[in-house]
Amino acid sequence: MKITEEEIRKITQKTIESLGKSAPLEKVEREVASLIKEIETSENPAGSSEITSGKIILTSFGINHPGIVASITKSFSDNLCDILDISQKILGDFYTMIMIVDITKSLKDLRSIQEEMNKISEELKIKIYLQHEDVFRYMHRI
Amino acid sequence: MSYEFDEIVETIKMTELENFDIRTVTLGINLRDCIGSDIKTTKNKVYEKILKYGRHHVQYASEIEKTYGISIANKRIAVTPVSIPFDCFGSDELVELAVTLDKAAGEIGVDYIAGYSALVQKGFSTGELELIKSIPEVMKATKRVCSSVNVASTKAGINIDAVNMMSEIIKKTAEVTKDDNSVGCAKLVTYCNIPEDNPFVAGAFHGVSEPEVTLNVGISGPGVVLDAIKEAGNVDLQKLAEVIKRTVFKTTRAGELIGRKVAEKHGIPFGIVDISLAPTPAQGDSIADVLKAMGVEDVGAPGTTAALAMLNDAVKKAGLMASSSVGGMSGAFIPVSEDQGMISAVKSGNLTIEKLEAMTAVCSVGLDMIAVAGDIPAASIAGIIADECAIGIINDKTTAVRIIPVYGKTVGDSVNFGGLLGEAPVMKVSRLKSDNFVNRGGRIPAPMRSLTN
Repeated sequence: MKITEEEIRKITQKTIESLGKSAPLEKVEREVASLIKEIETSENPAGSSEITSGKIILTSFGINHPGIVASITKSFSDNLCDILDISQKILGDFYTMIMIVDITKSLKDLRSIQEEMNKISEELKIKIYLQHEDVFRYMHRI
Repeated sequence: MSYEFDEIVETIKMTELENFDIRTVTLGINLRDCIGSDIKTTKNKVYEKILKYGRHHVQYASEIEKTYGISIANKRIAVTPVSIPFDCFGSDELVELAVTLDKAAGEIGVDYIAGYSALVQKGFSTGELELIKSIPEVMKATKRVCSSVNVASTKAGINIDAVNMMSEIIKKTAEVTKDDNSVGCAKLVTYCNIPEDNPFVAGAFHGVSEPEVTLNVGISGPGVVLDAIKEAGNVDLQKLAEVIKRTVFKTTRAGELIGRKVAEKHGIPFGIVDISLAPTPAQGDSIADVLKAMGVEDVGAPGTTAALAMLNDAVKKAGLMASSSVGGMSGAFIPVSEDQGMISAVKSGNLTIEKLEAMTAVCSVGLDMIAVAGDIPAASIAGIIADECAIGIINDKTTAVRIIPVYGKTVGDSVNFGGLLGEAPVMKVSRLKSDNFVNRGGRIPAPMRSLTN
């Protein structure tokens, strides 16, 4: 995260207040630099979390029969997952479906949701894959 | 952000149907601070340090696998070349140390730990000699420890004394592990221009210029490239290069993502992504099949080297565009026993060791997983290693030899190493002698870098 000049000015003012007006310039500089570093690292921990979104992509296919969308969406709804996009195609007896789902407000993490979907996929004899959106973004967007 | 239907289907197809996986996430650990006053304290320090960083390696990798729906085939550990910090120990003590490495790897739950290594391209230190001497015993006494010895580099030339020594060590390792088809040699690589950040076992180690601990990742994906080439149909070679690049770009991006995420979970820096196309014995995960799909009748046909060169180059170009952290070997691997297509090409007599050697001039990583008759003279192995090193130093690239003179087997036999190591038909090697050349000893001087013709 980038700190603006305005913020640096405020940090400097606060530092001078806390160190006293007679504090030597180098000491203030050092203090400010370490504070800025602290803020930068705390808001951007090791690695690159900036690319992480709370979205997951569900891909499902199999032999079409009633109740597939209902079962999947009910599970999402029970878990407070927000469906952002659905696209679906029927090809003869087969269907394919893709959903983009926001799970940031869900109380469950991706793994527990995956487990629920595994149950549904066994019950309905269809395939369901649940993957974090990052992998699609990394592969298909620069 | 929205995605096209086709894009999502493409990713699912890669991960579910085309064997796209992350071949390895390798945790590199610095052991230079683990030297103690005697072997006992040293062993304790080494064990504690590996456990400290590696304890959760398998668990973290598995969690990331589930989150992204991309499987990670291997979780491994690489350590500082053992001969560097532990130069003061004798070969018996070094064997004890290797057993400790083996135990630590077992405790963590990884199948291989690499770094029982020495860098002797210019000459030997006392400790390095002890380490090389101990290799056969280590290969016998441990299951998971992998060893590599660098005997040549573009800057130093080829240490023929080391080449001779390694050929003897390889023969001896084959003998002491004869009950397991000489499998010890499958965990021992002789290198030229060894990279310091290679995540692929058996040649991995944690280089001296690496940070305290780092996570490197090796991607895979011959299956994905194969399907892309098949789908492209009969297009010209420029278009084909484009198809390969497009595919590898995506697999590299996925590889880097997985590596970064595993590193993030560990709370350690991410190192590199090695973009090598690495085959497995699984059907459809073969470099040989890719070459055949490009148009050669079988591996070994005239044109094979050109096809491989083009494949390797396209892989590199795409990988470099996709990631700013490309490192390690980053080429196409052509191990014989680990690639179903290569195995059948050798069995049918289409692929000879000489053609393989030519192919290694344009790809990584050399004569890899080659089984030869157990009675091959050590001087012939030395000659083979020297040839590979020559290709490496002149072309300023990494080459290596992982040759298995299977004890008691002859040409026509076949050896099964099991698992990822696969099955190797015993290959024919010329019976012409190289003794008088390699027995001269000394060092082939470093090559010149201009007038490169």
